[in-house]
Amino acid sequence: MTVPTDSGERRRAGDRPPAIAELIDEATVQEITEQAWLALVGEDEVLVPLPAPLPADTLSSWVEIVGPWTGSVVLTCGRDTALALTRALLREHAPEVLEEEDVDDAMGELANVVGGNVKAVLPGPSVLGLPETGTTPPPGREADTCRVDVLWRGEPLTVSVQSHAERENEVPL
Amino acid sequence: MTVRALVIDDSRAMRRIVTGTLEGFGYETRQAGHGQEALDVLHEGWVPDLCTIDWNMPVMDGLQFVNAVRANPGWRAVTLMMVTSESEHGQIVRALAAGAHEYVIKPFTADAIRDKLALLGLLPQEVSL
Repeated sequence: MTVPTDSGERRRAGDRPPAIAELIDEATVQEITEQAWLALVGEDEVLVPLPAPLPADTLSSWVEIVGPWTGSVVLTCGRDTALALTRALLREHAPEVLEEEDVDDAMGELANVVGGNVKAVLPGPSVLGLPETGTTPPPGREADTCRVDVLWRGEPLTVSVQSHAERENEVPL
Repeated sequence: MTVRALVIDDSRAMRRIVTGTLEGFGYETRQAGHGQEALDVLHEGWVPDLCTIDWNMPVMDGLQFVNAVRANPGWRAVTLMMVTSESEHGQIVRALAAGAHEYVIKPFTADAIRDKLALLGLLPQEVSL
């Protein structure tokens, strides 16, 4: 009979999940976001890494990642910026008047592409959720978030890779 | 001869981008918002040369769609190309093992799609010249 041995590689039930800072850095998130922008928004669309305050009326899109690390990748920008992003994404296919559904769809796809590539950097296997859009993204742990602040066409936009807030209440077994 | 493609993605924006790229190469296209809708198109008799398939979709995801197409011998000639942000190595292997021919990771450029189509022999003659 073979007795299974623990190599120590598997996570034990009582182990805390890794903090996001141990898994990905701002430069990687910035690079992933820039690649998504160049391919989807436009070849000349530059993201300038400068923090600026977001306007009061914001829209967020996010995807959840569930695996050894569980959390969300959240894009947030002003509503007007979201409209401009949608037009840039759809180019000549954009309708004259954008509907809320168009904006939700475009913002969701941006979160999906950024999130999918973030997921590829994190330890797997993981599952990527379907994109969601709204004014209130899922709460994350401020201290366990990798956040990138950029300007697109002079307007602020943030990309956050944030561990789920539930981590705060976790008690190791 | 016209080459036909079915673009399957739950994002309307992405469907428009992929469709625009393929039509630029001379393809005739149709769209579906998820795998089941795409299967309905095939069942109605519109069998394309190429399906571009997102992975994460509601109702029926891309992998389920690949399995469903490969289970039908009548659709053996359909080329299946995943076009997805799902870039984990294990997932790519799963899709190819299930019967997908090619895998394009989002974000992609039109040139990347063109290169894959050329490899698959699905680039219309006038475009490849």
